[in-house]
Amino acid sequence: MAKRSTTGGDEQTASSNGAAAAVLRAPAEVLFAREIEAIIAADKFEKPPGWRMSPRAVLTYITGGSVGDTRITPKYIGHQRLVEIAISTLVTDRALLLIGEPGTAKSWLSEHLAAAINGDSGKVVQGTAGTTEENVRYTWNYAMLIARGPSPEALIPSPILRAMESGSLARFEEITRCASEVQDAMISILSEKTISIPELKSEVPAKRGFSVIATANTRDKGVNDMSAALKRRFNIIVLPTPKTIESEIEIVSKRVRDLATNLDLKAKVPTADAIEKVVTIFRELRTGQTLDGKAKLKTPSGVLSTAEAISVLANSMALAGNFGSGDVSPLDLASAIQGSVVKDEEKDRVVWQEYLSNVLKKRGAEWRPLYAACSEQND
Amino acid sequence: MTKPWRVNVFGVRHLSPAGAWHLRRYLDALKPRMVLIEGLADASGLIPQITRKGTKPPIALLAYTDSLPVRTLIYPLARYSPEFQAMSWADEHNAKAEFIDLPSDVFLALQDVEAELHAQRRRAAAEDPPAKGPEAPPPAETPPPPARPSVYEQYAERAGEADYETYWERHFEHNLSDDAYRLAAYEFGSSLRDLEEDQPRWQAENLVREAFMRRQIEKAIAAGTPPEKIVAVVGAFHAPVLTGEHPAMTDDELASLQRRSSKFTLMPYSYFKLSTQSGYGAGNRAPAYFDLLWDALRESDLAGLPSRYLSLVARHLREAGTHRSTAEAIEGVRLANTLSALKGGLAPTLTDLRDAAITLLGHGELSTVKDAIAHVEVGTAIGELPVGVSRTSIQADFERELSRLRLEKHKTTVQQELTLDLRENRQAKSVDAAFLDLGRSSFLHRLRVLGIGFAKPMRTSQQAATWAERWTLQWSPESEIHLVEAVLLGETVELAAGFKFKSTLEACASIADAAEVVRDACLCGMMASMDAARRRLQELSAETSEMTAIAHAAHVLGLIVRYGDVRKFDPEPLMPLVEELFVEAALAMHAAAGCDNEQAQKTIVAMNEMNGLALEHADRVDEALWIERLRRLSDADDRNPLLSGYACAILLERGLMANEDLAREVSRRLSPGVPADLGAGWFEGLSKRNRYALLARQVLWALLADYIGSLDEDHFRRSVVFLRRAFGGFNPREKRQIAENLAEHWGVSADTAAEAIESELTDAEQKKLSDLNEINFDDL
Repeated sequence: MAKRSTTGGDEQTASSNGAAAAVLRAPAEVLFAREIEAIIAADKFEKPPGWRMSPRAVLTYITGGSVGDTRITPKYIGHQRLVEIAISTLVTDRALLLIGEPGTAKSWLSEHLAAAINGDSGKVVQGTAGTTEENVRYTWNYAMLIARGPSPEALIPSPILRAMESGSLARFEEITRCASEVQDAMISILSEKTISIPELKSEVPAKRGFSVIATANTRDKGVNDMSAALKRRFNIIVLPTPKTIESEIEIVSKRVRDLATNLDLKAKVPTADAIEKVVTIFRELRTGQTLDGKAKLKTPSGVLSTAEAISVLANSMALAGNFGSGDVSPLDLASAIQGSVVKDEEKDRVVWQEYLSNVLKKRGAEWRPLYAACSEQND
Repeated sequence: MTKPWRVNVFGVRHLSPAGAWHLRRYLDALKPRMVLIEGLADASGLIPQITRKGTKPPIALLAYTDSLPVRTLIYPLARYSPEFQAMSWADEHNAKAEFIDLPSDVFLALQDVEAELHAQRRRAAAEDPPAKGPEAPPPAETPPPPARPSVYEQYAERAGEADYETYWERHFEHNLSDDAYRLAAYEFGSSLRDLEEDQPRWQAENLVREAFMRRQIEKAIAAGTPPEKIVAVVGAFHAPVLTGEHPAMTDDELASLQRRSSKFTLMPYSYFKLSTQSGYGAGNRAPAYFDLLWDALRESDLAGLPSRYLSLVARHLREAGTHRSTAEAIEGVRLANTLSALKGGLAPTLTDLRDAAITLLGHGELSTVKDAIAHVEVGTAIGELPVGVSRTSIQADFERELSRLRLEKHKTTVQQELTLDLRENRQAKSVDAAFLDLGRSSFLHRLRVLGIGFAKPMRTSQQAATWAERWTLQWSPESEIHLVEAVLLGETVELAAGFKFKSTLEACASIADAAEVVRDACLCGMMASMDAARRRLQELSAETSEMTAIAHAAHVLGLIVRYGDVRKFDPEPLMPLVEELFVEAALAMHAAAGCDNEQAQKTIVAMNEMNGLALEHADRVDEALWIERLRRLSDADDRNPLLSGYACAILLERGLMANEDLAREVSRRLSPGVPADLGAGWFEGLSKRNRYALLARQVLWALLADYIGSLDEDHFRRSVVFLRRAFGGFNPREKRQIAENLAEHWGVSADTAAEAIESELTDAEQKKLSDLNEINFDDL
């Protein structure tokens, strides 16, 4: 859930799209039902088999625009070309793998693609270390299986099997969190496009329109690498972190405000200036160069994702609220930043120290308090 | 001319394969007797050379002024240039081919005017600093800031394409319908002319060129070729106005144009060079790809191009050791086709193909396929010219420099020596003369960098003197060949050296290499290259944390800063980098000190270099940090003891360690129980510097004596190895002083001690010593 609003999907418009206030969060196809209807009504281009709208219409739905007099809110901002590649991949009935750091809207994009193409983003396998091959293929209603033996009625199809039967998209979240042998169950499904059910002496071939959108996080620790064989069966798109510092600041401030209300943090929201500084430090260390591009930097071992910048700010608010004055001070920020930059003790500490003395120290008076606080922390 | 004439005009984009393909079909259909081509009118004589058998594109037509300042014009021609194909067609069909654009002398004079305007603007900007305060950004190079997108970008955006190149390729390069290209280019040219561009100078230049082209066309008609048998091949922009309805240039107008005396020649060109020239027609970014496109068009196999592109990328990947299956290449073709269909295109553009290659063959990462893509898109093709055709600008520039620097008499096959004194000659009358030797040095260094074996540096005896240099000069035919080849890098010696630096920097993998380039650029007196090298060095420094390399780079830069005075340049831009490297090396030292004894010797060199920097530039570098790190290393027990001792020695030398601290440290390091190799190793490090300070401290020797006394037989034998090494570097006088120190400690008078040392060894003593030599090294 924490990932939902990182792309700035506009909640007000979402609710004006109507429907479903009772559940905690309605799926995209319900939230944006009105937009989808408008697009389908106006769509003049050819639809691939199994699709509810043409590829160009999907692009409009994701990147925004207007259809007739309906305004389509942009769901994914900044990297239109990647969305084009993603849609084209699904047209060629290849499976799509979205890779990215935390907070790059992988699941968000995958949900909206499924919502636009099939009007159903709900066929999801949520990958965990405990996911078994049955979750990927099919399992049984064991009571019925024991009572009557194998029968189609006793079979419980996985979301992927259901997608094959209906010729639509299945989603596989966090595929790298599953054990390698479970991941490998996907290999034959993707190459042969059938699932055989030996117990019933039958085979379920995929209808046209079937495909899989998987998401994965490769830089986190505790994930299982994908085998080369499986990688070959996917078109892989690496989702980048926000393109400009402005968009990242926007995303971070919005999320920090949300978190402050949700978690009832007793501190004031950090100033725009503090947010900008944190995002600047994160971007510079993540990309390995200063924002002006003039100096290259060493990068620490951690990921330093947008999501982490958000948690640094939330952390410093918690510190300020519980142990400080309630205003987020440079010292609060410094200890939170220290914690997320310096992970692998000696090496990261040197990287951070270098950054402090070669970059921050020379930034002038405005940065001085934060520099002083950070140096003190790093000693 | 009485009635308005009308010739057949074919508008093209330079270096456009589809343009060349359509043009050949157009010429085949029309069978003209004369082909007029946009190109330097006075260079028409070179056309037979261009179409000659031994000529293999890419080549370039080069025009240059034969006096200073050198201005050059380059017209690159690839196999797929419409202009090149037009000439070839004319040659094959016995038609006449001629260039009709302004002659080179006028063109080059125009560049002079342009440069003068540029300089004026810069001066104006410099004299009238913007009132924003010291932080205001420096004035931009080109005056109109690109606030709104250019006309070309507007076109691309309207068509929903990310950039103009893709727009052009999608709309012009793939359309094979008859005459589609010519008509579309004509339309495109007219609409470009309609759009108001706020560049009066640029417009004026085009009007002059077009009037001259019309004049040349009229001349051709007057000479007897009927207009319908003439085809003019020009840029799409000029196509709409080459008719008799517009006035041609008169004789008076032509006479009023400024001129500069010029020469021109053909030269071999390379696809790599072509791809680095921005702002010149289509196909320049990816010459090898456009070469593929040209082949595909000629074989009517445009649909096969994506497969060819992706399998080539896959093949390069495999050759580099990254396996990719054919299935992935096939899926890549499908993806590229779909991407193109999404835009309503006829075939995938280069962008589509590249994205498909990244997604499928790179598994989403550009970095994986970057090299392979560069291979397929840019390629390594180099053009060829028959022997004797080329008389290049760089040869002319070389001769000119020789005479300016009064070096002509050295251009002989007899080896000669030249000694240079780079300091200002105060008796000289002009600035040039005063720094004649400095100019010579820069020039010779540039030749050295370009690999032109005319001049070789000799070691000078005074290594430290920054102002003396010795060279041997000898001219050879090989040097001539190298010089001609260097024109591929640039039109003058300086430009070529600059390009060479640029490519060396791109290939630079280590910080030491980059530091060498900084030094070379400084020796060549090329500040722009030095600045680029400095940036590259900074980039590389982020990728390494090897202390020895960083310290060495900092040291080299420190030396260059010292050259500043003699070589007349401002070393200030280098200082921030020296400071940064200094911090990096200081921080990296502690980790680097955990090494074996062999590596420790290198680390000692690095520590010396760092300490030298800290002393020489104490006002700039972070000396406090350096000392803090030295103390830390000096106190550390888990690092190489030699280095800890050495750090201690530096602190001692700088007067940062009090007597009692030293005493405590010595006794701690040399306490019984500390393994002999550690204790003695530490002492070795300590004794590597400032011996006099050590010799003067009696307490140290007392402690050392007690330590040795406390060792048991085994440990003593081990420590002897290290102690011998430690004392190996002391000279006899110092050794005697040590002996006296020890004598004092043992209560023996100095004279007795000296006597004992100087007397012959007895047999018994001899035996004891040789026993000590028989050390079982397995223990260590």
